[in-house]
Amino acid sequence: MTKKFFLVFSVVAILAMLAACAPTAAPTQQQGSGETQAQAQPAAAGNCKDSPTPPPLAKKDTYKVGFSQVETNNPWRIAQTESMKAEAAKRGWELVYTDAGGSEAKQIADIESMIAQKVDLIFMAPRSEKPLAEAALKAKAACIPVIMLDRDVDHSIAAPGKDYVTMIGSDFVKEGEMAAEWLAKATNNKAIIIELEGTVGSSPAIDRKKGFDEAIKKYPDMKIVASQTGDFARDKGRQVAETLLQAHPDATAIYAHNDEMAMGAIAALEAAGKVPGKDVIIVSIDGTKDAAQAIIDGKLGATVECNPKFGPKAFDTAIAYANGETFPAKIVNPDRFFDSTNAAAYLPEAY
Amino acid sequence: MLVVFNIIRIHNLISNTPTFIERGTVNVEYARALQQALSVNLTQVATIVIVGVGMTLVVATGGIDLSVGAVMAIAGQIAPLIFLGPIADRFGMGVANFLALTVPIAVAAGFGLMNGLMVTKLRFQPIIATLVVFIGGRGIAQVLTNGYLQPFKNPSFQYIALGRPLGIPTQVYIMFAVVLLALFLVRRTAFGRYVLAIGGNERAARLAGVPVGRVKTLVYVISGALAGIAGLIVVAINAASDANLNGMNMELDAIAATAVGGTPLTGGHANIVGTLLGALLIQLVRYSLISIGVPYEFALVVNAFIILLAVYFQRQRAA
Repeated sequence: MTKKFFLVFSVVAILAMLAACAPTAAPTQQQGSGETQAQAQPAAAGNCKDSPTPPPLAKKDTYKVGFSQVETNNPWRIAQTESMKAEAAKRGWELVYTDAGGSEAKQIADIESMIAQKVDLIFMAPRSEKPLAEAALKAKAACIPVIMLDRDVDHSIAAPGKDYVTMIGSDFVKEGEMAAEWLAKATNNKAIIIELEGTVGSSPAIDRKKGFDEAIKKYPDMKIVASQTGDFARDKGRQVAETLLQAHPDATAIYAHNDEMAMGAIAALEAAGKVPGKDVIIVSIDGTKDAAQAIIDGKLGATVECNPKFGPKAFDTAIAYANGETFPAKIVNPDRFFDSTNAAAYLPEAY
Repeated sequence: MLVVFNIIRIHNLISNTPTFIERGTVNVEYARALQQALSVNLTQVATIVIVGVGMTLVVATGGIDLSVGAVMAIAGQIAPLIFLGPIADRFGMGVANFLALTVPIAVAAGFGLMNGLMVTKLRFQPIIATLVVFIGGRGIAQVLTNGYLQPFKNPSFQYIALGRPLGIPTQVYIMFAVVLLALFLVRRTAFGRYVLAIGGNERAARLAGVPVGRVKTLVYVISGALAGIAGLIVVAINAASDANLNGMNMELDAIAATAVGGTPLTGGHANIVGTLLGALLIQLVRYSLISIGVPYEFALVVNAFIILLAVYFQRQRAA
């Protein structure tokens, strides 16, 4: 009796799932298969994939937009999410928000689900350059324009102005350079540096390393003795810093690709009985509240701001795009710089 | 090999650094550096060992607990919610800290109880029962704070990770206490004998009058509670709770430590000291690879290979 019930139940459940899946499957199928499939789709949908420009955005009063966040385990991301949500609420737009929890696979699935929900436009903060470029192509094939926020994708797979509208973000290379220049000044051009890199393969990690490493080459007495990923996270950053400080007890400076890892490095230094800011000078990027406080406490040397308040700029760009404006490959957010001279003044507005 | 290489390397580095010799305090500095290397490794390995001991007990009954990482995240999220929330304002920091150290562990044990009941009462296979909590548990942890990071500063709570009584990190004491208790449990108590008997032959144990259901449930409760303790340590050491990453892949580290330590996944044996050594091996390999500058991706591969070798030699010896 119960067996039969289970059988019937599972059949019904499977059918229900299939029914629910059907509309989802359509837009994703079309980009993988041949022209016959594309013709079966509405005319507009078939054209988007090979179009030399990103899909257009119709002029409307309000939009349903997607925001694919990569993770929210650090204050910077939280501030970015809050800014996007606040701006959507202010304008009365519907926001489909997803958090990939630091997983590429989940973020790709998130984008697919946004495509299935037929959002008008997708804001994406791609976790890494290559896998998420493919996700951008899927959105394009489904005739949904994409705007990248704060990280970019691999231009050889998906190009700005062709496959997605543009990218809004900071100049990560410049951020790295600013950190390097400050460190050079703070250490009289002489330092043994440990570098804590961000997520492997992400554009800020690649560019912040490039900017810093290039700038440091000008100074013969500044050398990077170790460079390892701390995945932009406090715990990982701390563990890697602990280990690298053991391997290189002569290190005099740490450059962290974000403030969370710098917080981890401070914990590592204190655990090792060293005085952060004195025995080892730390410089990082982001400008979080914890970082501002650490600068005031003398533990962190300086931080390069990477402004997370994307909401207004992102939504303005979407409207401008609907109005037919074209954009450069990248819209640069101007960044400020915080050290002991201005951290206290910045603290109240820090996130 | 690699570990030995690294130790030699640290030794060379220390004895070659001129400042140490100039000061004429080579031995002191050397001892200090060694003590620190030990301290870093022991603090980093403590959570793996604590969770690994629970895992060893579960594995000894022929089960497995995939939920430990998620349970760590839940416990880690609850503690700051308590001492950052209204309880601290109302009853003072002392009460809040006491609750922050007990409630999360109780909740973690509760999830262990749920695992245990699913295995014993509903007769789910352990891998499935704990997989449910593995998936759902991290979700619960994220929902508690919308997945947001909770930074805090609370020295008395953080003592469990940052305290250094007699120069040794607190979590190292906790780790050894857990290991000794588990050793006592396995070797000296009826409960320990029951655990091994169930893992060896559950039907025979049942026929011999062993309270199989109760013992198995209790083993999952212990594993859950230990995961809770580990979750609190991670949060305390970072001065921030991160629902997304706290305990990430911990179940795999704990299973690897158990397997490398010589506890067969088929049950019937519990090598607690082996788990301690297994975790230390994994930790030392990881530490050595990072400190000699091997990129993270390669480090993972090397790590896997060493686990493979260790388990292979274990099997050879057993056969």
